[in-house]
Amino acid sequence: MRFRFCGDLDCPDWVLAEISTLAKISSVKLKLICGQVLKDLQGEGIDYEKILKLTSDAKFESGDVKATIAVLSFILSSAAKHSVDSDSLSSELQQLGLPKEHATGLCRSYGEKQSPLQDSLRTRSLRLNRLDSVSWRVDHMLSSSKLQQVNEPLVHLKFTVRDGDRGVTEPFAMTVSAEKFRVLLAELRQAHAMMKTLS
Amino acid sequence: MLLVLSEEHKEHLGFLTQVDSAVVGEFGRIAVEFLRKGTNPKIYEGAARKLNVSSDVIQHGVEGLTYLLTEGSKLMISEIDFQDSVLVLGFSEELNKLLLQLYLDNRKEIRSILGELAPKLPSYHSLEWRLDVQLASRSLRQQIKPAVTIKLHLDQNGDQTTKILQTDPATLLHLIQQLEQALGEMKTNHCRRIVRNIK
Repeated sequence: MRFRFCGDLDCPDWVLAEISTLAKISSVKLKLICGQVLKDLQGEGIDYEKILKLTSDAKFESGDVKATIAVLSFILSSAAKHSVDSDSLSSELQQLGLPKEHATGLCRSYGEKQSPLQDSLRTRSLRLNRLDSVSWRVDHMLSSSKLQQVNEPLVHLKFTVRDGDRGVTEPFAMTVSAEKFRVLLAELRQAHAMMKTLS
Repeated sequence: MLLVLSEEHKEHLGFLTQVDSAVVGEFGRIAVEFLRKGTNPKIYEGAARKLNVSSDVIQHGVEGLTYLLTEGSKLMISEIDFQDSVLVLGFSEELNKLLLQLYLDNRKEIRSILGELAPKLPSYHSLEWRLDVQLASRSLRQQIKPAVTIKLHLDQNGDQTTKILQTDPATLLHLIQQLEQALGEMKTNHCRRIVRNIK
């Protein structure tokens, strides 16, 4: 059976198995746990103690609590990944065997937070290096050891590059002569115009 | 299969005949502890003072015992072979029995420690990917060139390294096909026969 929230593929077996665990919690508590998992997916950290308290009536062991968090993370992040709206998600979860109130509660929390979740997933997408800042300086060369009167402008550029892996910034400096700088500027302006037509 | 002990080794172990069996038992315990956690030269000093000999002699004795145990465990020699190998040293009956007991008790653990010393290649940790389309470059406008950028996270003895790769979709499909073929190899008769025989 193909599910949209799994990217038009079959639902993984472990998710099917844990749907029955989700049904054991009341739908109100499930909505609160969803809220916590959504906070974690947006990078704000998870309050494990609160989830333990919410699942204590259902008498979950620690393995069950972790399974609940894992299956909710999977469902919510996959649904955001494939841009599934909350009504379709609700019907698909009911097809998998999740009771109606649980599915509607879950999908309501999802629907409220779908856009912020997708934004945070977008920022966490693979990026290699990133330009942090640019600083420049224009000098005027008066003379050198080779020629007494040079009189040429020179641009010093310093790019601060943030490494994608380690998050450290590295400076990258270069000097550009006036001619080369004109060419560089013209080409970058063309690239910028092309980017504008696309966005 | 008998253990062949060098003259120097026999000399080092000769010290064990001069002390009583409780001390030999203690040395055995120290030897196994060193195999688990690494050597601690301070223990040699303490023992040397108590027994009134130089710490070198103690160190050689413990190292001789360690070597005896690791060689025996490495080759997985039987009780009889171990006893015969130790007979060469001319120890008392009691000492032989003590050494045999030490070997048999700790054999499995020493083997598992030795197993971890084999060199390991970097292993897969996780994968991030990204699909881009190149629309234009400085030399050519109006292009459509899709590319998949992959960041492979590898783990080697706790160090994390990353490798960045880029491929076009056709090569990626080929790669997937080859990997699926490799997985399929496990199901051939040849592999099944070997796996059955190992078990």
